[in-house]
Amino acid sequence: MAELTTLARPYAKAAFAEAQEKNALDAWSADLSVLAAYAADADLAKILVHPSLTAEQQAQALLDVCGDKLNEAAKNLVAVLADNKRLSLLPEVSALFEELKAQLQNTVDVVVTTAFEMTDAQQSKLAESLKAKLKCEVRMSSEIDESLIGGAIIRAGDLVIDGSLTGKLSKLAEAMNS
Amino acid sequence: MQQLNPSEISEVIKKRIENLDVTSQAQNEGTVVSVSDGIVRIHGLADAMYGEMIEFEGGVYGLAMNLERDSVGAVVLGEYKSLAEGQTAKCTGRILEVPTGEALLGRVVDTLGNPIDGKGPIETNTSAPVERVAPGVIARQGVDQPLETGYKAVDSMVPIGRGQRELIIGDRQTGKSAMAIDAIINQKGTGVKCIYVAVGQKQSTIANVVRKLEEHGAMDHTIIVAAGAADPAAMQFLAPYAGCAMGEYFLDRGEDALIVYDDLTKQAWAYRQISLLLKRPPGREAYPGDVFYLHSRLLERACRVNADYVKSVSGVEGKTGSLTALPIIETQGGDVSAFVPTNVISITDGQIFLETSLFNSGIRPAMNAGISVSRVGGAAQTKIIKKLGGGIRLALAQYRELAAFAQFASDLDDATRKQLEHGRAVTELMKQGQYAPMKTAEMGLSIFAATEGFLEDVEVNKIQAFEAALLSYANSEYKELMDQINVKGDYNNDIAAGLKELIEKFKSTQTW
Repeated sequence: MAELTTLARPYAKAAFAEAQEKNALDAWSADLSVLAAYAADADLAKILVHPSLTAEQQAQALLDVCGDKLNEAAKNLVAVLADNKRLSLLPEVSALFEELKAQLQNTVDVVVTTAFEMTDAQQSKLAESLKAKLKCEVRMSSEIDESLIGGAIIRAGDLVIDGSLTGKLSKLAEAMNS
Repeated sequence: MQQLNPSEISEVIKKRIENLDVTSQAQNEGTVVSVSDGIVRIHGLADAMYGEMIEFEGGVYGLAMNLERDSVGAVVLGEYKSLAEGQTAKCTGRILEVPTGEALLGRVVDTLGNPIDGKGPIETNTSAPVERVAPGVIARQGVDQPLETGYKAVDSMVPIGRGQRELIIGDRQTGKSAMAIDAIINQKGTGVKCIYVAVGQKQSTIANVVRKLEEHGAMDHTIIVAAGAADPAAMQFLAPYAGCAMGEYFLDRGEDALIVYDDLTKQAWAYRQISLLLKRPPGREAYPGDVFYLHSRLLERACRVNADYVKSVSGVEGKTGSLTALPIIETQGGDVSAFVPTNVISITDGQIFLETSLFNSGIRPAMNAGISVSRVGGAAQTKIIKKLGGGIRLALAQYRELAAFAQFASDLDDATRKQLEHGRAVTELMKQGQYAPMKTAEMGLSIFAATEGFLEDVEVNKIQAFEAALLSYANSEYKELMDQINVKGDYNNDIAAGLKELIEKFKSTQTW
């Protein structure tokens, strides 16, 4: 995983720079997510790494599936990736692109896992305080996990705030056993 | 029925619950990507610091050693069989610490300071990080107090001072560990606290050392840090630093401590293993580029510090502290020009060379007096040993030169023959048994007998018997004089006359 990120970074950076220059961040973002979704498909993924196909054939296969949804520049990126035999990196490229975009727009994706459904009031209050803590715009999505018993776990990239009851109980267990 | 253990008393449990911090804190989390040979690669953990503790699932800890662009390489401290790909790993924000303090004396602990001698938990509330930057020049003071090893040969020819680093180097089976252990035994009653760090040794060897120290009453002032051959490489690599942190506790409080690293060759091997697994580029003998720094930063922490430093660190006034290090290096076939031996020779303040040929010809300790040196210990020698010991080194040097030459010539002139005999006598006198360290006065008396020519009429093969009889005579008949030398260590005309009278009287009345 770590190695793939390293390999994908130059492509994502190049695409991002191009998008910024042409002022087409959203279009690029949409194109890349379409490409990533197709590249992650099990059947297509097999074709993308198939040794008997040439780079052109692989690129064409991917572009044919995408139809005419892509703009010219994105098609060129696919060609470059195919030439370097890196088409399978598309999901990572897309993820890194989104990361760079979020960084530029000073936003962060936050996943909140709770034991019960949160009310709207709770959600907006949480978003407010997260905005103050992380000092950037927050895009929140929520998940339900009943094994937490109570409380919430907030994930923003590598940062994790564990305020769940299970987490506290395991801390207690650790303190008692040490 | 299940047994109740001492940590289950309700008072203890109550205290633990009271002290528990349940406030949720923001933590950096990553995902384990691969686990192999005690090395874990973690994706994420963008905020991890070098040397930080990483917590894995199931309460296993690791040490971040490689910080790369998209991943962190960590070594696992302990068992890694429970770790698997996809598990989460958390930053703890702490660096590795070990417990320190007086409570550790008399105990055998592992690298992390956990007791492994079955004598129950260690009650101490002080701890120290394993890695620390050595005191700077302002904090230091010259080495001027002796640290006696109890060996005639060492204390007279390669004296060790408190705060010095003296390397013990030699092939396998030449008595390197024996010398270090005798030095620990000799610290009994001197107030010097000892730490013996066993790296990569057999458990049976470690158990033997503990038993011998107990037999000689030396365990009370000694801490043993053991990372055996079966322990993970990370533990073996860290053990010397952990032991050093335990020694620095005494240094900081204005006390004297002695630390033995047995041995640094195996520690370098462990570090090489970790480095290669972390994919750091190998250099000479496949060691990583920083193997010199590995040992230099460790040995630099052994030093003598002045009273100002002690006061600023621990508040103890008017006392200087010292940490003396006796690192041990094992050579292969006497090759001191290998990578690690040359490194450590250049770092330390002198070395004691032990040789297989000397050992096998019955000269024990098997020290080669010609190439063994102490670069700072001379200033720290007791007066009497310094005065008398100079002659010993000279006699042995001349003897070695003549002995090679005399093999070809059958008839020698009187002066040469006399010198050869004297050299032979001194070589014989320098022999000393294991677990029999000598006091200053005994040493002084033996050396006095040799340098003043009292051994001339003693047959070479009777010298050891002569010495033993002389010492027991002196200890019973001239106790006052011996005590006086032991306490003050002075040497003047009165003492010389006293010693002369002692030996003359012994020779005229006793047999050996």
